[in-house]
Amino acid sequence: MDETVELIARFLVVGAMAFGGGGAALPLVERITVAETGWLTPQQFAIGVGLAYATPGPILILAAFVGYYVAGVGGALAATAAVFAIPVALAAGSAGMVSRLNRYARFRAFGRFAAAAAVGLLAVTIVTLAHPLFDLHPALLAGSAAVFAAARWGLSPVLLLLICVAIGAATATVQG
Amino acid sequence: MTVIGWELLRLGAVAFGGLGATLALLQRGLVDRRRWLQERDIGEALAITQALPGSTGVQVVAYLGWRLRGWPGAIVATTAFIAPAAALMVVAAAASLALPDLPWVRGALAGVQVGVVGLVAMAMWRLARSNARGTALVVVLLTSCVLGFFLHAVAIVVGAGLVGALIGVEREDG
Repeated sequence: MDETVELIARFLVVGAMAFGGGGAALPLVERITVAETGWLTPQQFAIGVGLAYATPGPILILAAFVGYYVAGVGGALAATAAVFAIPVALAAGSAGMVSRLNRYARFRAFGRFAAAAAVGLLAVTIVTLAHPLFDLHPALLAGSAAVFAAARWGLSPVLLLLICVAIGAATATVQG
Repeated sequence: MTVIGWELLRLGAVAFGGLGATLALLQRGLVDRRRWLQERDIGEALAITQALPGSTGVQVVAYLGWRLRGWPGAIVATTAFIAPAAALMVVAAAASLALPDLPWVRGALAGVQVGVVGLVAMAMWRLARSNARGTALVVVLLTSCVLGFFLHAVAIVVGAGLVGALIGVEREDG
């Protein structure tokens, strides 16, 4: 029960701080689930992010993955509800209001600076995720660079992940 | 209301490919197919929700749900839109915990890690291009890259926001 309460509290914060959208909030999720609580190993976090890319819907559905690991189905539901509660309330509640708020330069400046900072934090997330790969074999990072290039070139994330899984499984089988 | 829930459930189940693809999907479903809303409603929803924290795609759905049926509409639309992904994610999380410790499984998981690092790098690249327009924001982004290794993430995001609000360098071109 305590863990469910902590899940809710922490994912409410993620939702409230997700300036720049769901993708920009990955560093916050990584901080709370890997660095601060040890709920997930970096590898498990990477699997969760991979699944979040591979499933339809928002990237922050990652909350359901974390919630399940921490407290089962109830945890998944609690974390999912928490991460979307504040953004959804803000979006619906602002249907008439934020158009007014949006005229305040300072309000918009807050959002834009916060979003830029959130994007910068992705560097920390990339390092956290790349570190176990580097330990496994430094050459694996070349694979990541190839995925980056292919994604820029326009290949779908789902397809790229499937290719990575296939290559990984095949290589490991051959090496036995 | 049941029809709204059903339509969003259907859309939520096929909303692959990030924000751009999701917006196109919402437009086809809610504007072209159902004719509940007009194209400019989606643009307006996007403009407003991008200034707010949170998953933009979900927020656009919440905003449009509110336009259709007020608060109950927003809640039904959002819940229906997220439900398929949440259900899939729970099944996938359970499956990932049940994976046997075999060489090919370890290989496949390493493959996922390789792919995810590349995809997150790609996300950072794309987000940097859309969020860091202008010298001040580039400086904020780079500073946060460095400070991120030493300070609490929330402190950095809020701190940057406060700096923005204080200097208030805001142009109308964004």
